[in-house]
Amino acid sequence: MLQQVVWSDELDVERIVDTYGNMLFSICLVILCNEKDAEDAVQDTFITYLTKSPSFNDSEHEKAWLITIATNRCKNMRRYNIIRKHIDINDLQLYSKNDKNHGLLDHLMRLPTKQKIVLLLHYVEGYKVDEIAKILTITTSAVKKRLQRGRELLRERYRKENEYGL
Amino acid sequence: MDFEKIKDAVTSIEMSKAMEDRVKEKIRKRKSGQVLFKRWIPIASAFAILLAIMIGIPYFNKNGELQVANFTITAYALSDEAQLNTPITSEKATIELGTGLRLGIVGMSGGRADLIFTDVMLKIVGEQIDSITYTLSDGKFIEDVIFSYEKFIDKEWLLSEKIYMMGRDPGSDVYEGIKEVGNTYTVSYNEQENYKYTLAIPHDGNNVIANDVIINVHVKYTDGSSEQQDILVTQEEDSIEVNSISLKLK
Repeated sequence: MLQQVVWSDELDVERIVDTYGNMLFSICLVILCNEKDAEDAVQDTFITYLTKSPSFNDSEHEKAWLITIATNRCKNMRRYNIIRKHIDINDLQLYSKNDKNHGLLDHLMRLPTKQKIVLLLHYVEGYKVDEIAKILTITTSAVKKRLQRGRELLRERYRKENEYGL
Repeated sequence: MDFEKIKDAVTSIEMSKAMEDRVKEKIRKRKSGQVLFKRWIPIASAFAILLAIMIGIPYFNKNGELQVANFTITAYALSDEAQLNTPITSEKATIELGTGLRLGIVGMSGGRADLIFTDVMLKIVGEQIDSITYTLSDGKFIEDVIFSYEKFIDKEWLLSEKIYMMGRDPGSDVYEGIKEVGNTYTVSYNEQENYKYTLAIPHDGNNVIANDVIINVHVKYTDGSSEQQDILVTQEEDSIEVNSISLKLK
């Protein structure tokens, strides 16, 4: 009986890390801008998942739950200043093989956390405004506002980069 | 700029194999520790319940909720006597705002249009409380003030007192204004009635609260100890028309 429980846990760990590990790591890395912090946030998220063993309606529900836990964990880490130094753009090649993406990732990482999270959920995970509002427990107007501001900031930074030839 | 490229950029990020193995290993360790720990949960729970009954806690407030602090917070809109002292709990409490008077004043000045000027006040009830400090994460506490014509023409005094938005009733010598108190203030427990400070919350230009606002309530007791609770201020989509805000304990 005990053997079965251990075996089932083992399968669960493999499944969730294989299925959601990279997705959560990419989100956490962009929010926290530090690979060690992102690793800690991902690990804490999975431990919360296995400890609470919540029941889900479907895989989308499970994914949204994990994203909520991970983003909350990231926000707490930032709030209490227990994050480490910003990742160097040159180190991005360790995690993102395509160097064409590094410039955009660097700009994205330098956005304020609030805007970063809604941009990630909308453009990367494909959530609609009302779905993001539910995940982050904020109003839809706040989501729209943050999306708009995030886009403006990214545009502005690209414009400056081109202007000064950086 | 093509924002769709964000997806390609972010999804190109992957954990290294070493990191993935490390994460799996750490989760397994924590999980196995959890199994052993879980065996003691029923015994520990029974003991805790017994102990709690013996010393008379936990106790519950009037709404049947576990009381997390030894003080209660109530809110009310100055304009609405029917809403006096709405208790703030973990359930959302909606407070109607008195718009008539406020909009009149705001309209006359035209300045500082980035704030929704509510007439919502907070009050604390508890025992052995020395002082209360309120801190807003975003926005200001404001106070309605009245002053004479002599003060009205004294621009330096108005600036030093941080008084904005002025008006007066036709034929009256008494001017009305809104004084900025700041994002935090401390009040003595016994003098709460003397401070009619209300909330002014930032909006996005369309009277929609830009971001959720947190009010931190820090209570200091006469024995030197202290407690605090956070209140979350939100606005529902459909509340723009009816003009209300919602408060609940965070």
